[in-house]
Amino acid sequence: MADVDEEDYVYFGTPIEREEEISSRKRKAIAEPGTLRSLPPWKQEVTDEEGRRRFHGAFTGGYSAGYYNTVGSKEGWTPQTFTSSRKNRAEVKKQNIYSFLDEDDLKDIGGNTLETSMQYDTFGFTAAEFARKKAEEEQKKRPSAIPGPAPDEIVLPASSSIGMRLLMKMGWRQGHSIKDSNAESLSEIRREARKAFMALSSNNAEPDISEKDADGTDEFPDMSIDVLRNSENTPVYVLNPKQDMYGLGYDPFKHAPEFRDSKRLRESKSRETKRSKVHMGNLLSSNSKKYAPGFGIGALEELDAEDEDIYASGFDYEQTEVELEPSKAVSSSSGDRMLQLEHKKRGSLLGFKLASDSDYKLERFYPPAIPSNFRPIHKFGAPLDQTLKNYNSVPPPDAPPPEDTNLRLLIEGSAAMVARCGKSIEDLYMEKSKTNPLFLFLKSGAEGYDYYVRKLWENKQKFVDNLKPAEKLTAENRGRILGERPLASTTSRVNDVSVKAREVINTQSSHGDTVTKPISLADLPDSAIKQFKHDPAKQERFELFLKEKYQGGLRASGTRSSTSTSTMSEADRARERLDFEAAAEAIEKGKQTIQISAPSTDHTKDLLGFGEDRFVSSTLIENSETKLEETNVVYPKREQFEWRPSPILCKRFDLIDPYMGKPPPVPRARSKMDSLIFLPEIFKSSNKEDAKSPIGNSLEASKSGLKEAEAEPSASEADVAPTSPKNVERPVDLYKAIFSDDSDDDEADAGPALNQAPNPVKSSEGANKTLNRLVAGDFLESLGKELGLEVPPDSIPGPSLNANTVSLPEEQKSCKGGDDRDDTPFPKVKETKSKDYGSTVDSSREKKRSHSKHHRRRSRTPDLDPDSGSDSDSHRRHRSRSKKRRDRRDRSRSRDSESSDEAYMNRKERRKKHHSRHHEHKKKDYGDKYSDKKRRS
Amino acid sequence: MASSGWELAVNESGVLKGHEGAVLAVRFNGDGNYCLTCGKDRTLRLWNPHRGIHIKTYKSHGREVRDVHVTTDNAKLVSCGGDRQLFYWDVSSGRVIRKFRGHDSEVNSVKFNEYNAVVVSAGYDRSVRAFDCRSQSTEPIQIIDTFQDSVMSVHLTKTEIIAGCVDGTVRTFDIRMGRELVDQLGHPVNCISLSNDANCVLASCLDSTLRLLDRSTGELLQEYKGHKCKSYKMDCCLTNTDAHVVSGSEDGFIYFWDLVDASIVSSFRAHSSVVTSVSYHPKDVCMLTSSVDGTIKVWRK
Repeated sequence: MADVDEEDYVYFGTPIEREEEISSRKRKAIAEPGTLRSLPPWKQEVTDEEGRRRFHGAFTGGYSAGYYNTVGSKEGWTPQTFTSSRKNRAEVKKQNIYSFLDEDDLKDIGGNTLETSMQYDTFGFTAAEFARKKAEEEQKKRPSAIPGPAPDEIVLPASSSIGMRLLMKMGWRQGHSIKDSNAESLSEIRREARKAFMALSSNNAEPDISEKDADGTDEFPDMSIDVLRNSENTPVYVLNPKQDMYGLGYDPFKHAPEFRDSKRLRESKSRETKRSKVHMGNLLSSNSKKYAPGFGIGALEELDAEDEDIYASGFDYEQTEVELEPSKAVSSSSGDRMLQLEHKKRGSLLGFKLASDSDYKLERFYPPAIPSNFRPIHKFGAPLDQTLKNYNSVPPPDAPPPEDTNLRLLIEGSAAMVARCGKSIEDLYMEKSKTNPLFLFLKSGAEGYDYYVRKLWENKQKFVDNLKPAEKLTAENRGRILGERPLASTTSRVNDVSVKAREVINTQSSHGDTVTKPISLADLPDSAIKQFKHDPAKQERFELFLKEKYQGGLRASGTRSSTSTSTMSEADRARERLDFEAAAEAIEKGKQTIQISAPSTDHTKDLLGFGEDRFVSSTLIENSETKLEETNVVYPKREQFEWRPSPILCKRFDLIDPYMGKPPPVPRARSKMDSLIFLPEIFKSSNKEDAKSPIGNSLEASKSGLKEAEAEPSASEADVAPTSPKNVERPVDLYKAIFSDDSDDDEADAGPALNQAPNPVKSSEGANKTLNRLVAGDFLESLGKELGLEVPPDSIPGPSLNANTVSLPEEQKSCKGGDDRDDTPFPKVKETKSKDYGSTVDSSREKKRSHSKHHRRRSRTPDLDPDSGSDSDSHRRHRSRSKKRRDRRDRSRSRDSESSDEAYMNRKERRKKHHSRHHEHKKKDYGDKYSDKKRRS
Repeated sequence: MASSGWELAVNESGVLKGHEGAVLAVRFNGDGNYCLTCGKDRTLRLWNPHRGIHIKTYKSHGREVRDVHVTTDNAKLVSCGGDRQLFYWDVSSGRVIRKFRGHDSEVNSVKFNEYNAVVVSAGYDRSVRAFDCRSQSTEPIQIIDTFQDSVMSVHLTKTEIIAGCVDGTVRTFDIRMGRELVDQLGHPVNCISLSNDANCVLASCLDSTLRLLDRSTGELLQEYKGHKCKSYKMDCCLTNTDAHVVSGSEDGFIYFWDLVDASIVSSFRAHSSVVTSVSYHPKDVCMLTSSVDGTIKVWRK
């Protein structure tokens, strides 16, 4: 169909180019630039993005504009090269926009250049200047009789402004004023008269003003230039900067020029005084904030608390504001000028007088007097807990629900409400019961009362249970709830039997009561001193429990046997049992006073009084502890520790290093896990994140023989099998068997050579030793191969297991002398490890370390003490601890220096606030001071 | 009392003015002919207190200068302060030779050792650091950080480093023995000072009490009370004869106590504000006091 139609069409004009053609041209254009560049410039042609030759226009170059499509010259547009302005100053010229424009650009701009116009040169200054310059130039060009430039007086400006020309046309002559001479002379006379008058009566200016008003119009010369008289020349221009706040052209003294002088006088005087005062103020007192006087602080330094002037002494200079505004005596009637001045003196407002007596008194509200025995600790009343306790202690007997389902529902609902909202609701119901027979069950003895009581109790338990999850459930808490023994006691003697017994109890308790959970049962003694004294029955049970515990070893669920009352539920019994167990354990430990009841009381506190104890306990505990400590410590107290001066310090003090030749300080003992499990060397180096010298470490390891490698295995290594077979590890005692005799001094020397600045005397010796050891290592290796010990140590049957037991007495023996120790692998490994500071493993471990622990260890004998003298380690410890101690530092900041001195009292206040649980070590440090302070204050 | 009065420097004989703002420390040089002061205006000043002449000003500190010490040969100075560095100066040229870094916080006190080879500084960062003047290194050669709070004052003997700390201890680090003696005083120690025979150490505590300790036994020999010292860093010292104890007070007073019976021999108002530092001439009866009021006063008998 289309084919048929096409034949009928008649075509006009040229058809539109087909797409392929265009695209091919495009392709060509894209392909071309590479080839184009190789062509000589005159054969190159510029194309647009469509691939067509660029046509610049028939009159502006055709196809080839400029220099073959570049800017005007062969070089194109070359950037200006740098010319030193130092050598040829004269040649340096200032560039402006025209130096970058060619003619075309200028044409585009349209030849518009900014120039000054002579047309509006009113006073003819510019013209005069221009003329003068011209004349000068001409003067220079043409030879003259007078050498040099002619003086200005001779060469006068030849041009004048339009205004001047107009005036001239109107008859004005230069040097004449434009003014009515009649008016002028009149005002002149008047002014003279006024002056005379003023001289007579300087104070009273009243008649003067009226006169001024009268001749006000005359004062200003009217600009009519009809009549031009000869008079004195008018000044062309008076330089008088505007200094006041009046409107432009307004002159308050227009009609009374006499006051102008007096004003000026007064102004200058006050300005002087003000300047001097402000000056003083700036110098002596400081700006808004109080810096220390006399100097400022750099712009880049932030303003710390220290920069404030803590010595802010008694003398403060007031910055006095001096009123600048002159009294507008002229505008107002000058009659009350005196009065006004007087008022200003007294400091009251214009038109007001200071009252001689006023009954207005500044009312001051003094803060209420705080009773002396007030302690700023909030105690939350815990009515809920109280009631709960009541309910707990005597759980009401189960009662059958009443037959009436409506009544049952009502009872249940109201019980739930009362449990949730407290006693008040119950009272409300009571009120209602007087009128409404439905609520009769609230009265004891009535039908459904027993059921109600039971329901109420159950609901309360439920409610408290619901509350509890909101509390922080720490692992410890949960452990206790689940009947686990606290972690600390796991190491103490725990017989499996009791654990089993507890398990039984736990299962019992969990199945025992469907409604109540073991947590909620807290019929525990709240007296912290004596365990169960207030509850004789319980005390009795406890005694029985103890008896059983210590007599018979095996008790299954013995507590149920004799004394358990029928009122106690299974869960109650379980609970009690746990308490008994804990108390018994505490007794075992011998901490009779506080700690015995601690587990139970803690428990109740955690569970119930989560408001009360959180606020009270810390200070209470602190107080008690500090008191305890204070009684113990008598000041001054002297302690002695080992301290290790660095060799260079000894040298500089010209002393002999007391530790010269002694092994390097042993890093403090690590946690149990670390000392048991020695990671292979490779692991350690890979653990280091910043790994300063993992290679260096391994180098050293190899250099110092195989000791490090050997040191790693220990008895407990069986479960930590090294993964890499390359990691050659040998049992220690094998090594010992071979090298035991000379290893002692070996070690002693190797230590410092490894860890510290090498001892100059001993270094060569040490080098020999290491060489020896290398040889020994080779030997050992071959020996090991022969014995089939190449494989990781866990496959070695005897020696590796013995390693620890053998080395232990060695250690003890070596500890006797300072020199001969370190036979054991431990210090060695630690030493290498201690080099990589900042390794994540170390630091994380450090955080756990408590300060008090550190103290305890420090006080041991020096040689056994792993902590002694290891400055770097303790340093690290401090760092890691620093976070904990931050707030303490805050406190001490105020104390220590003159830069941030606050009263000690403030610190005390903050102390209280900042106190938290993990600061226990701090208490030790400060408690004594604190309480001492407190006592004094 | 009358007999002892004549040998106390209780009469004002001159005032040295020049510091802008508080003067934080004043120190006689080794022979007592000159003195050095430093203050909140970030400068050190060298004076001849006997003639009342201001000789030189040393400016380079970026923050307040808290302590200064001069070598026994009067050739070098060391100063410390709020900018966490120690400045090691050449006295004559007034140039900083070196700045010792390492303290993490403000430095409270600094001393040269006997051979002028080591500088020991005590800082707010709970550490005492020793720097080597002879090497080019600016890093400490020893860091003692057994302190638990800001170390306020440090003194050196031939073999020991003695430092007083806010944690209530005076710690003696015996380099020769390699041991640390900790004397717990129970109160924050503000300043320590050695007796001239170096057998006793006088510790100024923040409970407004000076305590005199026997250094060999750690025994408390005497307590001196009456002045006020609760929050400012203030100096105390013994007189040249070790017969009296001198301390400033926060109310601008100077107190003299008898060394033995701890009675106040003399007290007088010396300054209008806190007396920050006292320094006693090593030989003569001459005392320098500095104060927050910006003046240094010279006292003679």
